[in-house]
Amino acid sequence: MRVRHLGGEGGTGLNRRIAMALLGGVAGWTVSARAQSMPVIGYLGSETQERYRSRLEAFRQGLAEAGYIEGRNVAIEYKWAEGQYSRLPALARELAARNINVIVAAGGAEVALAAKAATSTIPIVFEMGGDPIALGVVTSLSRPGGNLTGVSSLSVEVSRKRLEFMRELRPATGKFAVAMNPTSPTSGAQLKNLQAAADALGVELVVLYGSQEQEFPGMFTAVRDSGAGGLVFSSDPYFAYRSPQLAALSVRHAVPSMTQSRDFPLAGGLMSYGGDFSQSHRQTGIYAGRILKGEKPAELPVQRVTRVELFINLKAADNLGISFPPSILGSADRVIE
Amino acid sequence: MTFQPAGAPTKHRSLFWKYFRALFAAVVAPLMIAGAGEAWFGYHDQRARLNELLDAEARLAAVKIHDFIEGIQDQLSWTVQLPWTDNAGDRRMLDAMRLLRQAPAVESLALVDGTGRERLFVSRIGLNRVEAGEDRSATAPVTGARADRVWFGPVTFQNDSEPFMTIAVAGNRAAVGVAVAEVNLKFIWEVVSGIRVGRTGEAFVLDEPGRLVAHPDISLVLRADQAAQAPLQALRAAIQARAPGQAAAGRDITGKTVIAAMAQVPGVDWQVVVKQPIAEAYAPIYAALWRLGFLLVAGGLIAAALASWLSQRMVEPIRVLEDGVARIGAGQFDHRISLPTSDEFERLATRFNEMAGELAVSRERSERIARLKRFLAPQIAELIDRTGDERVLDGRRVEVAVLFCDIRGFTSFSANAEPEEIIDMLREYYDALERVVSAHGATLVNFFGDGVMVLLNAPVPCTDPELRATEMAIDMQANVQKLLVEWRKLHPELGFGIGLAMGPATVGRIGSGGRLNYTAIGNVVNLASRLCSSAADSEILVDLVAAAAIGTRVPLAQKDSRMMKGFDRPVPVFVVDVARGAALN
Repeated sequence: MRVRHLGGEGGTGLNRRIAMALLGGVAGWTVSARAQSMPVIGYLGSETQERYRSRLEAFRQGLAEAGYIEGRNVAIEYKWAEGQYSRLPALARELAARNINVIVAAGGAEVALAAKAATSTIPIVFEMGGDPIALGVVTSLSRPGGNLTGVSSLSVEVSRKRLEFMRELRPATGKFAVAMNPTSPTSGAQLKNLQAAADALGVELVVLYGSQEQEFPGMFTAVRDSGAGGLVFSSDPYFAYRSPQLAALSVRHAVPSMTQSRDFPLAGGLMSYGGDFSQSHRQTGIYAGRILKGEKPAELPVQRVTRVELFINLKAADNLGISFPPSILGSADRVIE
Repeated sequence: MTFQPAGAPTKHRSLFWKYFRALFAAVVAPLMIAGAGEAWFGYHDQRARLNELLDAEARLAAVKIHDFIEGIQDQLSWTVQLPWTDNAGDRRMLDAMRLLRQAPAVESLALVDGTGRERLFVSRIGLNRVEAGEDRSATAPVTGARADRVWFGPVTFQNDSEPFMTIAVAGNRAAVGVAVAEVNLKFIWEVVSGIRVGRTGEAFVLDEPGRLVAHPDISLVLRADQAAQAPLQALRAAIQARAPGQAAAGRDITGKTVIAAMAQVPGVDWQVVVKQPIAEAYAPIYAALWRLGFLLVAGGLIAAALASWLSQRMVEPIRVLEDGVARIGAGQFDHRISLPTSDEFERLATRFNEMAGELAVSRERSERIARLKRFLAPQIAELIDRTGDERVLDGRRVEVAVLFCDIRGFTSFSANAEPEEIIDMLREYYDALERVVSAHGATLVNFFGDGVMVLLNAPVPCTDPELRATEMAIDMQANVQKLLVEWRKLHPELGFGIGLAMGPATVGRIGSGGRLNYTAIGNVVNLASRLCSSAADSEILVDLVAAAAIGTRVPLAQKDSRMMKGFDRPVPVFVVDVARGAALN
């Protein structure tokens, strides 16, 4: 920025040459000149870049499909809340204060809502698992209006299916535990949903709350203590981004568990059922690219990624001493052996 | 004769341009006609090909969409093959789960038994229901499928956004029941976005009311915005207005002009429209037209160059000829036109060269005659001119008739008269004499003041020179006497006499260099001169030789012999009876 400033205001060629020589020469100047002409995406994430790695990959793929490649014709400025969701509104405001072309708020309703609160002019593309209308992010899926649009997966809606799968796996048990994140804006709806499903399935629910990593081990011990047949995680990004930790805990505590994210069975957990995040993040990238090209977010309908995937881990089942019924084996999208 | 100076520019230019235009037109006109024909037919062929191509693409797209629906239909038919029993739950559940795996577009599946009760319901999102027992026998999908084996519901937009359709399939017996599936039509996107017409052409699907069911830009479908889709409906209407299989031009959603064709999707009331940007679709036509235009221009240039070269080749010999003719015309007879073209031009040049040679000869002759004319009597000069042979002037000895005549009293008259009067009188006198001399084929060889010497039979030979001479003398007397009537009014002393003699004489050119004369030398000349001197007015005196030759053909009267200067003895003299002689003539 400093180089650009001096280069731009240098007035005479000689002055500019001196300034450039002093400040690192032509290379630095051209880089900044290119950055000046490149559009900038502000990327707001609730976790760290490391936790978002697979999501970012999908996002960049979508961006490339729309014709943008980071560093070549688009710059991306990242803001990470590092798991502290309370920091999101401040980070969103920081981004909004910068001269950026579009804000990508990926990874949950909290991020989308923080971005929405920060600006009503900069286009926002969100990515979340819940119902954007119920959460008050948009008023219509087909015509979102305003400055934001985005992608929603069916993760939140299918929490109840997780309970159903768990019940199918352990038909002999009448009691199951569900893990809720009380800070999540979707927790109330999900709990109601799960309770209704439990009633329909005729099972008893043990509700466990946890919004911090430190509370995770306690949740697993509580499952054992309550005598529940398994632990079903509600859809929540905080849980989803900590799949490896949860998988390790489930193995250590020998608790049959199920989350929304495929990362969980891939890391040794029992199974997962939820929206395909690689598709939703890819779609987010496509939308960000289309907005950079000049399309208006109000005219881009909110897309729902309808694909829901069931991942199961046979090894984890073996370790737990349980076996999958044919209906689950038959409908699994991926079986990890 | 007038000569164009060599290299007069306007003449050359015009001939060159005439040839150039004719040759250029001869090449370019057929080229243009062929080009126009090629363009016209090429354009129409391309249009027809484009029509066929788009029609085929539309039908192919319809088949692809149909395959998608039929695939789901096939999957559903697997679940309605065996009749229901009381405890078939687990197997049916497996079938249903497998179907959800196999057909990602199916969001939920309900299996209804032969009595129309729902036995199983599986969903990707909602909870499954086993043996719910709900009576569905009166619902449209069940009754529809029972009637027609397969039933397709209308397209509905979930949350005003996602297109869904219910497909129901019945088994081959009532007892096997009906499978009812909710199908998310968003999945047709994979089919529709895979269809490419040309390089950037696309396909989209509209249902009967004109709602967008599938489009490569899925967000257009999800917007479910009738207003935004209006151009696509207009495009469909435009195609429907044309004959079946005919493509129509219109505008797509971005306002781009496209050419589109349509096909019905079998089984459902949907239409697939394939469209291609008109610029792209017509690109081969434009390319062909450009190519043709380029070839025509190139052909035109080559034709111009050829025409120019040929015209130059045609005009150049003409220019050389013209230049040569101009030089020859200007008197440069030794100029020779060199045109080794081995064609008519060379022959023409040869003719011109021959002509130049003949002209040179002719000029040489006429120059010689002109030179002779300067010094010889006009009659003699003309004679030579006529015969083209000077040898008649060569010296020889021949029998000639010599006539001398002069005016009596001329010396005293000329001493008193005014010079103008003398000159006028002599002019009339010579005019009269020359007419007579010419009329009788004689040669006036000399004159001195009023005296004139006339020769017959030399240099031009003639028959009866004596008779001709006598008749000529009578004519002379007649003509001159007419003049004398006038002259004597002022000068009564004037008269006209003639002397005529015949005999051998030496005739030929005498003199040298700038002074040449043709004359006769001999006694006969002397005698004729003397006879003239002694002749009175209106008298014609003839010597003995001439009188003997004449005989009785002209009335003659012998006079007394006279002494004459240069003769030793008196010379016999005869006089022509002019009055009777003239009557004889």
